[in-house]
Amino acid sequence: MSIYNWFIITLTLVTGFINALLAFMGQEDIQIYFIINIIAYMTVTLLYVYFNPMARRALDGVSVVFFGAFLVIVAIKVVDIISGR
Amino acid sequence: MMRSLLNNPYRWLGLSLCVAGAVFSPLAFFIVASVPLTAVGLSAIMLGFVCAALANARPYISPEACQLMLKTGMENTSALLEELNLRNKAVYLPSLMREGRPQALIPLLEDADLMQIRQKLPGRLIVRYGANPDDMAIAVTTAGSINIDLLENNPGPTSGGIEDAVNYILTGVLDIASAVKISNQDGLIRAEITGARLPYENVWYQRCLGSPIASIVAAISSEALAKPVRIKEEIQAKGKISLVIEVLA
Repeated sequence: MSIYNWFIITLTLVTGFINALLAFMGQEDIQIYFIINIIAYMTVTLLYVYFNPMARRALDGVSVVFFGAFLVIVAIKVVDIISGR
Repeated sequence: MMRSLLNNPYRWLGLSLCVAGAVFSPLAFFIVASVPLTAVGLSAIMLGFVCAALANARPYISPEACQLMLKTGMENTSALLEELNLRNKAVYLPSLMREGRPQALIPLLEDADLMQIRQKLPGRLIVRYGANPDDMAIAVTTAGSINIDLLENNPGPTSGGIEDAVNYILTGVLDIASAVKISNQDGLIRAEITGARLPYENVWYQRCLGSPIASIVAAISSEALAKPVRIKEEIQAKGKISLVIEVLA
C-alpha cells in the first residue's frame, strides 16, 4: 500500500482514538478537541519523513493553516484569562 | 474541468470529507448538542484538507507513461548489451568517479578485475578502466543514476544514511516499495525491500544491471560510500526483494 494511504489511515486512527478518549474522559470543550487533534496531526506528519518534496510542501501549507487556528484559540484563551472571564 | 478535479482519488476523498464534516459539525453542535460528535466532524474536515493537499503531490504523468519511458530506455540498453554479447554484472560507480553523475560500468571481459578502479573515468560510452588494452567497459546511465538527483542531501556513509536515502526515494518519491532495511557489514550491503512493486524480470538488461529497484539501491550505496559497488545477489519472493551488494575497492 502507498505511503500516502498509510499516512491517511494513521491520521484517521489517531484522531478517532483521541476523540474517543476525550469523550470517554467527559471533555466538553470543543477547543481542547481541536487543539489536541492539531498536535496529533503535526506529530504524525513529522513521523512520516519520507514524503516527496511536493507532498511535504503541501502538508507544510496545511500545517501552517492549522497552526494559525491553534494560535487564534490560544490568543482567545489568553484574552479570556487577562480580562478575568 | 470538474472531471479533472475529481479524477484524483485523494482529491475526491478530501472534498467528500470536508463537505461531510462541514455539514455534520454544525448539526452535532447546535441540534444534537454533542461536543464529541462535533469534534468528529472537525476531524473529518482536517482529514479532508490533508487528502486534498496530498492530491496535489501526485504525479502529472500517468504511471503507464512512466512505465513506457522506463521500458524504452531498458530495451535500448538491452539491445546494446545483446549486440556486444555482454553478460557480466555491472559495477555502479559514484559520481566522483564519473563526470558528475553516477553510472554503471559493464566490463567487456568476464573475469575483469574491477578492484583496480580508483581514478576518475572519462565520461564516454566506452571507457578504459585499467592499464591493459583489454580493460574496457561500457558505461550506461541507469534508473539509479537519475534518482541520485532527487536526493536533497548526499547520503551518509553509514547503513542508516543509506537506508534513509533509499527509503526516501523508494517509498516517498517513487512510491514503488513499502519499507527498506539496510545493513552494512564486512564489505557487503544487505538490503531487504518489502512491498516492491517493480519486480525482477529475467531479461538481458536486468541480468547485467539488476532490477530497477536493485539499481537504485546500488547507485545510492555507491554514492554514499564513494566506492564502486556490484549487485552480487538479487532474490525476489512474495513482493520482498533481498539484495546483497558487494563494495569494491
